[in-house]
Amino acid sequence: MTQPMTGRAVLEVLDGGILTTVQDGGRPDLGHLGVPLGGACDPWGLAVANLVAGNPPTAPALETTVAGLVLRVLSTALVGIGGADLGAVVRPVGQRLMPGATYRLSAGDEIAFPGPPDGRRGVRAYVALPGGLDVPIVLGSASTCLAGGFGGLDGRPLRRGDQLAARAAGPPAGPELRIGGGATDRASAQTDAPTSVHVLRGPDDEAGAALVALAGGAWRVGVEADRMGIRLDGPTLPPAGPSARPSHGVTWGTIQLPPDGRPIVLLADAQPTGGYPVVGVAISADRPILGQLRPGDPVRFVETTVEAARAALRASDDRLRAAVDELADAARWEELWHGAGG
Amino acid sequence: MTRVVPFGDAAVLVVLEAADEHDPAVIRGVHRLAAAIRGLGDPDLGSPVPGATSVLVGFDPLALDPAEAEARLGPALVGASDERAGDDGLSPLVELPTRYGGTDGPDLATVAATAGLSERAVVDLHASVEYVVGFLGFAPGFAYLSAVPPAIATPRRATPRERIPAGSVGIADRRTAVYPGGTPGGWQLIGRTDTTVWDARRDPPALLTPGTRVRFVPVPVGR
Repeated sequence: MTQPMTGRAVLEVLDGGILTTVQDGGRPDLGHLGVPLGGACDPWGLAVANLVAGNPPTAPALETTVAGLVLRVLSTALVGIGGADLGAVVRPVGQRLMPGATYRLSAGDEIAFPGPPDGRRGVRAYVALPGGLDVPIVLGSASTCLAGGFGGLDGRPLRRGDQLAARAAGPPAGPELRIGGGATDRASAQTDAPTSVHVLRGPDDEAGAALVALAGGAWRVGVEADRMGIRLDGPTLPPAGPSARPSHGVTWGTIQLPPDGRPIVLLADAQPTGGYPVVGVAISADRPILGQLRPGDPVRFVETTVEAARAALRASDDRLRAAVDELADAARWEELWHGAGG
Repeated sequence: MTRVVPFGDAAVLVVLEAADEHDPAVIRGVHRLAAAIRGLGDPDLGSPVPGATSVLVGFDPLALDPAEAEARLGPALVGASDERAGDDGLSPLVELPTRYGGTDGPDLATVAATAGLSERAVVDLHASVEYVVGFLGFAPGFAYLSAVPPAIATPRRATPRERIPAGSVGIADRRTAVYPGGTPGGWQLIGRTDTTVWDARRDPPALLTPGTRVRFVPVPVGR
């Protein structure tokens, strides 16, 4: 189902790393057909990469996981970076690429993601090109649906030899931009402290005791962690409801409790329906935090209110708008500066 | 009767109370409810996701809180809450020509042994009833059909298979399903159809959508 690229190839994949896929805002309207929401597991990281590349927040970009991605620059390119700091570096120059900034790279440069620097949190980084990555839109989105084998590049992770083009035609005209204000602090925090995830009650009346135990427990992200969800290691929770129960729709952030008592937090690629009891539901504003958790990370759960959840989401939304305004000003200033000089 | 319960800060679950998930009337009730919610055309509400006895409705948490979302749903709940209403006769019927047993249905013997029936009797029973799609999940296009006759309801395999061929027909307890292909799976595989249940390039991509009626039609193996 690959369509010919309309733009000139800008990047070539030398190594796809652990898992690199094309992601955007996902497919929010197809849950009734069994299609996962999909999209970036850290929507904030995706937005940052896109904004500095001059794109709307959910334009298609690369999401790469932990380590191993190596890209070769085929023609002069402006590249926006977001999400976690996975140690991205330009070879052979040695320049580090930090989340929240754009970089102008030359043909022949290689971008490598060797992995998070020592002590840094975070697992997912985003690479955006001006106009967004040029891949076919399938069922309303460019996102790679791994469960269905469609979207992105033929529904699969990137591998050596893949070529990527930008939707914006011609050489990149935009300035190099940078988002300030701690836009990426949370993804790559340098701390041993537990990550706080805020939760609300789920639909199950009988889940009260399990939710109290969840909020009182010290947890670590288990080794079973992918784009569908993360297992938690910690105390065994009391049952959150009868184990044989009718399946129902679930959301990104839903905390399920299988019969073994080890909770699962669902992420972007979770199947849209599930049959396990629900302990609680993480708030929407914490989705980017969930998407950056790595096996072994300490986590704690804090029960909150709908009002506080909405306030947190509004704050995050305001921050994004402020970043857009800041970048618009920076771009204008840069234009003026170059105009005056020329 | 329906009950609306908050599901985090961005969704509510509309539950049909005391409903039997294998009752065709209940499944049609869920389907009608989802259609009525979709019919509201409310831009702040997400696309409804049917479950076995419920419909999950996402909403924009910047625009609404769960109580406001419930209020917006009101008109749809009033019209669609009579889940005991009979078949409206409007759901499409899909017939799936199916080769039972052999390499297409490697677990047919297990199902027969568990049921204490001949393989032929299992096939006859599986193909004897009209199923209804309750909901989808697990993978794009994977539809949960109710209800398998109790005599041949068989639990999942202890160990799932790593990759199921497209079109494989499976049984898990009182549900049956057609695998879209390319996924692992733990259902008892009793046959296979050549009908494509999922194609991302097709419109609509899923053949079996909530409310669709389905019949399996046995075809001779080896054609």
